[in-house]
Amino acid sequence: MRQILDIAHYEMLSIFKEKILFLMVFLVPLGYAALFGATYVTAILGNVPVAIVDLDDSRLSREIAAAFANSPHFKVVDDIRTYRELEEGMKNGRLRAGVVIPENFEQEMARHTLTRVLAIYDGSNLIWGYNTRKYIREVFNDFSASNTASYLAGLGYTKNEIRSIMDTVSLNTEVWYNPTFSYANFLFLGLVMMILHQIGLLSVSLTITREKERKTWLQFLSAPVPAWKIFAGKSLPYFVANFFNYALLLWFAARFIHVKLSGSLPLILLLGFLYDLVITGAGFFISTHAPNSLQVTRYVMLLSVPFFMISGYTWPATHIPAFINYLARLLPSTWMALGFRQVTLKELDISYILPHIRALGLMAVLAVLLAVNFTKRLKPRPESGTEINGGASYPVRWK
Amino acid sequence: MLNQGLAIMRREVFYLCRDRGLRHILLCGSLIGLLLFYAIYSAQVLKDIPAAIVDLDNSSASRELAEKISKAEYLKLVASLESYDDLQELIKQGRVIVGIVIPENFARDVALGRQARVLAVIDGSNMIYATNASAAVLTVTRTISAQAGVSALVARGVQLKQAQEAYQAIDFSEEPWFNPALNYAYFLVLALALNIWQQCCTLAACLNVIGERGMKSWLQIKASGISKFKFFTSKSLAQILIFMAIVLPLYILAFGVFKLPLNCSLPAFLLFTLAFAIAIHSIGTLASSFARNAVDAARFGMIIALPSFVLSGYTWPLEAMPAYLQKAARILPQTWFFQGINYFAFKDAGWNLMSHFILAMLAITAVCYGAAAILIARD
Repeated sequence: MRQILDIAHYEMLSIFKEKILFLMVFLVPLGYAALFGATYVTAILGNVPVAIVDLDDSRLSREIAAAFANSPHFKVVDDIRTYRELEEGMKNGRLRAGVVIPENFEQEMARHTLTRVLAIYDGSNLIWGYNTRKYIREVFNDFSASNTASYLAGLGYTKNEIRSIMDTVSLNTEVWYNPTFSYANFLFLGLVMMILHQIGLLSVSLTITREKERKTWLQFLSAPVPAWKIFAGKSLPYFVANFFNYALLLWFAARFIHVKLSGSLPLILLLGFLYDLVITGAGFFISTHAPNSLQVTRYVMLLSVPFFMISGYTWPATHIPAFINYLARLLPSTWMALGFRQVTLKELDISYILPHIRALGLMAVLAVLLAVNFTKRLKPRPESGTEINGGASYPVRWK
Repeated sequence: MLNQGLAIMRREVFYLCRDRGLRHILLCGSLIGLLLFYAIYSAQVLKDIPAAIVDLDNSSASRELAEKISKAEYLKLVASLESYDDLQELIKQGRVIVGIVIPENFARDVALGRQARVLAVIDGSNMIYATNASAAVLTVTRTISAQAGVSALVARGVQLKQAQEAYQAIDFSEEPWFNPALNYAYFLVLALALNIWQQCCTLAACLNVIGERGMKSWLQIKASGISKFKFFTSKSLAQILIFMAIVLPLYILAFGVFKLPLNCSLPAFLLFTLAFAIAIHSIGTLASSFARNAVDAARFGMIIALPSFVLSGYTWPLEAMPAYLQKAARILPQTWFFQGINYFAFKDAGWNLMSHFILAMLAITAVCYGAAAILIARD
């Protein structure tokens, strides 16, 4: 135990001594979380800029315009009055939606001639697109309902009778788990898991490469300390720091970004523990095999985007080809992000999370086994000829 | 003079080729990214949202209603369930996204003109599913209530024509512009691949200065008498040409093979990409000019490159971000580039807007190169 703590102490000194590494371990995760948190803090996409091109200018067309103006989701841009201006506005980003009411609309409605309002929305960004489509349908549904109610009132029906007729069959919609359609609830914690993955993996994967570059790895290899103790000692500070960051980022998400973070605390802790263990083990394993810190930094930095996209956290796994889903299942970030959402957003109990716990547990065991089984024999790398940045060195400014 | 510049450029290409890690990243990174993202989004449109119906009435009226719901756009009926608990269970497991519960005595209530409340449940935990499912349910709601309302009025002795008139809804047609099929692959694949490309390029640019000053050959270069300006300009030119060379196959695959939309002209888009390639190169050069070593330079460059896609407003819109963040995001060339993809590849917003975007990126470039030049000169 003493030996492990000594190695951990030595590693801590390295972290504190190297300013950039210190910042990376203790500040960058929170910095990234704050940045992404600020990005998604509004959470709900509102005030969609819409233009009403009213070519009819009748009572009915003005009522439609008023329905959009009164909707909390839309912000009517008043100075756009023609179709051409609407086209231009949609192109230059001033508008994300438009409503075109054709000429003689009211008259043709009264005559039951085929006529229709054109609702346009910007499909080039599907976050705008999907939400605007939903909002447009909501406005038209509400408008039609109020129109019908007015008509029935004109026929002499009382309020209660109108309600009874109109609600003969009513379809009440309940949105579970994220009733406000909050993008912060949906995305932010997934991004937090990727931050922890990225920074955690990068920090720990530099632990051996740094020794190789300083030529002190030989000391570890020749010391009468078993490999597992070297792993335990060198990984311990990162494991603790990663877990600290996990807790800190979750607190930050709940306290400042107001992300829904419900569910069982022991489960949240268990998932965090296993995720941390996989990352630490995998990072150490990478570090034992990587030639130098530059190569590790380059490769690890590129992982986060593909890992997040492949996980099915945003685009659903049901619509991703099977071979990609199999690939995604080999990654801890997939299990963690999806499992974490099940616990915190859907508030599910352990029976639903068991596959995630099993997968992460298995990966943790594998990662640790691979990490502790590094060979304690110094094999000098063969000369690499004219290769650059491939050996145990990389460009460092001269002093 | 020109020969010297060309020799430095040739040397730079040789150096990049000899750096095996970087070579792999530059040659394969963005291409693998494009293929992977295209495979992920190969379904392209989110259809067939799994739905289940709990018919507690089991009457002909309820079956008719279930039939109508199952035919709603984008919904796919995957289960007919016996109880609400079964539905809850499937939604918890994530096997069903939309659940419809038709209550007991539904047919009797409708026949007697009493209110019958059908429940639609949507799993909101994945917003891509939820917004699509919600839009589908909204359409169904409108049709079903109108049909039931007309029947109720007829039952009360109102003429059918008059009843239909009461429910004569404002007919509206929806037109999603620039991406008519709401194709998710069109929206994301190219942007994500270019995000990987810009990260790979940043990594390479981060070696620009420290890759020389950190090598023992730096003394030799200094002693050779070649001006630092000429040396680093030639190196940078070679790197930027390489960045453009690796984006070409990406564009050929994206626009030629995968048929992703490009509504502006290809030369204009390449010019726009070139401005961005120069901008990210300038950021990498700046990082590499003050970093103590190559690892720190890569970290500095990537600390900007990694979150820049989220900050660029390409997915979650800039307009929805706080004002201070919108201003901060505009300092990054990635914001102009990814916003530009939306404006030019999809909307063909015109040369005026493109020149504005290019100028913004070049202004950032001037600041970064200027700062890097000062740092190099002080050495």
